[in-house]
Amino acid sequence: MNHWRISVLAALLASITAGAAAQIPKPATGNLTIAFAAEATMLDPAKSSAGVDQYFFGQIYEQLVRPDPSLKRVNWLAESWSVEDEGGKPVIDVHLRQGVKFHTGDTLTSDDFAFAYNRLRDNKVSKWSHLQASVEAFEIVDPYHFRIHFKQGDGSYVADNLQLWAMSKAYFDRVGDETFGNTPVGTGPWKFVSRTIKEDLKLEAFDDYWNPTQRPTVKNLTIKIIPEDLTRVAAFKTGAVDWIDSVPPSMVEEFRKMPGVTTASYVSPNNMYIAMDAIDDAVPMHDVRVRQAAAYAIDVDAIIKSVLFGQGERYAEVGKGEIGYDPDLKPYPYDPKKARALLAEAGYPRGFDIPCYNLTTQREPYQKEMGEAVFAYLSAAGIRCKVQGQEYGAWISFGRRDRPGHIDGFYSNMWGHGLPGDPGTPWAGHVHTYVPGAGWGITSVHSDPELDALIEQLKATMDLPERDALIRKIARIKHDRVAGGLTTYRPIVTFAWHDNVTFVGWPTPGFWRNLQQIGLKQ
Amino acid sequence: MTVRRRIPLWLRGVPWLALLVLAVVGICAIGGDDILPADPNQLNLADAFRPPFWAANGSVDNPLGTDNLGRDILSRILAGSRISVIVAAYAIVFSGGIGALAGLVAGYFGGVVDAVLMRLIEIQQSIPSIALALIIAAALEPGLSTVIFVIVLTYWAWYARIIRGEVMTLKGRDYIAFARVAGVGTPTILMRHLLPNIFNTLIVLATLQVGQVILFEASLSFLGLGIQQPDISWGLMLADARQYITNAWWAITMPGIAIMLTCLSANVFGDWLRDRLDPRLRQL
Amino acid sequence: MSRFLLHRLLQGLVSIVGASIVIFLISRLSGDPVQILLPSDATPEMIAETRRTLGLDLPLWHQYVIFAWDALRGDFGRSYRWQMPALRLILDRLPATILLAVCGLIFSVAVAVPVGVLSAVRPGGWTDRVGRIFAMLGQAMPAFWVGLLLILLFAVQLNWLPAFGYGGVSHIIMPAIALGWYPVAAQTRIVRSAMRDVLDSDYIRLSRALGTPERWIVWKYALRNAAVPLLTMLGVYFAAMLGGAFVVETIFAWPGVGRTVVEAVFSRDFPVVQAGVLFTSILFVLSNLLVDLTYGIVDPRIRDDR
Repeated sequence: MNHWRISVLAALLASITAGAAAQIPKPATGNLTIAFAAEATMLDPAKSSAGVDQYFFGQIYEQLVRPDPSLKRVNWLAESWSVEDEGGKPVIDVHLRQGVKFHTGDTLTSDDFAFAYNRLRDNKVSKWSHLQASVEAFEIVDPYHFRIHFKQGDGSYVADNLQLWAMSKAYFDRVGDETFGNTPVGTGPWKFVSRTIKEDLKLEAFDDYWNPTQRPTVKNLTIKIIPEDLTRVAAFKTGAVDWIDSVPPSMVEEFRKMPGVTTASYVSPNNMYIAMDAIDDAVPMHDVRVRQAAAYAIDVDAIIKSVLFGQGERYAEVGKGEIGYDPDLKPYPYDPKKARALLAEAGYPRGFDIPCYNLTTQREPYQKEMGEAVFAYLSAAGIRCKVQGQEYGAWISFGRRDRPGHIDGFYSNMWGHGLPGDPGTPWAGHVHTYVPGAGWGITSVHSDPELDALIEQLKATMDLPERDALIRKIARIKHDRVAGGLTTYRPIVTFAWHDNVTFVGWPTPGFWRNLQQIGLKQ
Repeated sequence: MTVRRRIPLWLRGVPWLALLVLAVVGICAIGGDDILPADPNQLNLADAFRPPFWAANGSVDNPLGTDNLGRDILSRILAGSRISVIVAAYAIVFSGGIGALAGLVAGYFGGVVDAVLMRLIEIQQSIPSIALALIIAAALEPGLSTVIFVIVLTYWAWYARIIRGEVMTLKGRDYIAFARVAGVGTPTILMRHLLPNIFNTLIVLATLQVGQVILFEASLSFLGLGIQQPDISWGLMLADARQYITNAWWAITMPGIAIMLTCLSANVFGDWLRDRLDPRLRQL
Repeated sequence: MSRFLLHRLLQGLVSIVGASIVIFLISRLSGDPVQILLPSDATPEMIAETRRTLGLDLPLWHQYVIFAWDALRGDFGRSYRWQMPALRLILDRLPATILLAVCGLIFSVAVAVPVGVLSAVRPGGWTDRVGRIFAMLGQAMPAFWVGLLLILLFAVQLNWLPAFGYGGVSHIIMPAIALGWYPVAAQTRIVRSAMRDVLDSDYIRLSRALGTPERWIVWKYALRNAAVPLLTMLGVYFAAMLGGAFVVETIFAWPGVGRTVVEAVFSRDFPVVQAGVLFTSILFVLSNLLVDLTYGIVDPRIRDDR
């Protein structure tokens, strides 16, 4: 062989080895300390009931499907999946990714998902057992292939990323329920090390993690819990922590201008809206014109700008990035004159008095002030609000239909559509007519048979393009009739980190507090 | 001793400044919406976070600045005085009334009645008052009436204990014994002989309480279980302003100054009254 | 003496049991923790099931008996929110509250004693006036406002002290001041009047006539006499600090019992509320007992007056 052939061969060999080496991830090194503003109370996905729990267990546990940083659904632990029809009933057929290991070294198989399914549907364990109600059977075909048989169509299964979490059956059998909850084990990029309530969570990068490219590049991670804004900001500025979530909205501008700091803003999947009683004949909002008047009376953009310091994204029924998002469906413009005209047309030329209930405990930044501003706008247009503040416990009970009486006025409410976002379950809860004991309309003060039929149809629809079309259709009707509440905004949350940190935001699990790809610059 | 100007004896040493402040608060409370420079609940988002008139960007339209929703702070402070006065008045009248009655009865009759009352007082005084107030306020719906109820429940014991002590001392006096021998009925003894004598004490206790009641209500409202929207309370204003501590120092300081001036005046006045009427209560 | 002690201890015990009943009843009536714990679309069956698991479907008296029986064996139940024994949660945080109360007391005494002494020795003087104003202000400002102002000044504007949290000395200065300012007025009054009483007494006059330096008379002899009423009342002031801690801890994010109980009230976390308030009550009763004991030792007349 002459020289150039040898060099070509050598180059080829080198590139192949380099390529192969690039496929084998370098073990992570280094320590990183970050801060969250809130912490989980539960580390077991089955027993969890609060979204904030995902901040913690979302680093450890994984699901079959998930949205990527651009909110596009990608297969994750599922290699492939499809919805099939078997004798008129739907079946979700899943092929599991092979070679995925738990932190304990056990291999992920269909058994683990069967175990997870059984836990999640056990109402003595799981607070979400009703979400598994449509599943008839869980069939294991082989260790990497299983089928979920449904009694009827269940769109929420598809919308919620196939709902199941990869829980290790072997680990549970070895250590029992208590340890399973306190020392969680999953397939995720982070291993649980320790947790001190109200102080911190310590994690360690999982070297045998299945994904070679999308993984953390730092070894030890300490998540400090600092709920007070000033302290968290001070800790960031002094370098005690190098990454924080929830930059206080009033300081976002300052952070964006800070040298040596990178910020990123994400839309929080909590859909805020103003519920209004439309089922009582005596209440003015029974008339669609009054509801529309309310919609025209509120200047949501001004509220976002002034009260939320710009940290909110307006949405009309379905937010950007969600399935069924229709860019042509524009929110109601601010038009107080039109509002007054509509009120007069409906028979209220001098307006009317109505109770307005505002949540005073802060679940989202400045949401109490937002409520006050909304009700002030209504009052200015003639819908004279008798504002009543409610703290969280009272507010939660007040909103449910399975109590005596119901919301008899305006009510500041919220129901997240999740990420990337699907309004199916929320609409079933606050737009569909309340049907006691059947799971429809648990916080709904609206009743529209046409919408009810469409929402029921949506619940059974498991084909994503079909869902998209149906959601757009429902959204238009919901918008025109201001049904099930007036949609306002989704809060924007801003994270900040120092320039020595690399971070790519993944939406779930954890509502953007997901440390799938975090690391230190080399 | 220099010869003083001819101020009558009873008028000397009166804390005029304190009385003036209290009078202003009282006028604001009674005056209602008419005396307010602006609507305290009027939102004006474009005008939010305006500093007081002496600072850059301030304006005389909002002399003490505006809050996060553009509401005029001066108007809100003046409107807040109404709540303070109402709470103080009702709370003191009821807790003083109930406490005095209980103390009167227990002190006079003694025995089982007294023992039961003392146990009740002790049980109550072993629970920190703010903790008791919190759980009661969470059980009832937080609001004006709940705040008054909670304060009455917390402070009646204080009156009862002191009045009981007074009555026990008085009950041994001769004129009470004579009245009993003469066949005067018990209610008459209580109302016509004992009550007038403890009246001074009661008045002093009540005035000393004003400051405490205002502070207690402010703390409750601050924690979120006191006065609720749309009622305006100084404590509530401070709670709302807390999250803007870096942007709006005036929102945190002005309502607090209102609380401080009112309490100070009430305390000074109460001290003066005590010194004039019943100096034995000095250690309170 | 020991009969007095026994009597007072028994009284204290009765108070605590009574307090536990009151706290139990009122907190159970404060609302439904179950709906707060569950997701918003939980079914009625889920709610009923959770209520059953937590024992909340039993009649109140039955619940109390279970609570009392368990409490006597050291089990105060599990926090609904935090998945850990309520007792652990409270006991872990009790030291922080006690530390704060003690520091608050130290601050108030450290101010009250010098001011009281100087007021008595030099009435109308510069220290007397300034001290009196300082004391009066303390009684007129809500502790939480003092805390907010201190944060505004020293943490936000000047950046000298950390705004929140638990750490070294720098973390406790502001909370201690906010908590301890209120009783300064009453304590100054006690010191001042006690000092005045003693400064006029014969044996002080004798000491002066014998040529003892004034400094000694004031700070050694007279102060010792004034210390007595102050010390006897310390228990009362410590109890007052415990009460004030609820709000001050919330402002400064101080990891103590007060803040934990306030949060627990909002989330209707009954076991934590019960355990927290009960333990604070126990401390309360103990402090008051201490006061009565010291009074009893100091002034035998009081002992017989029951």
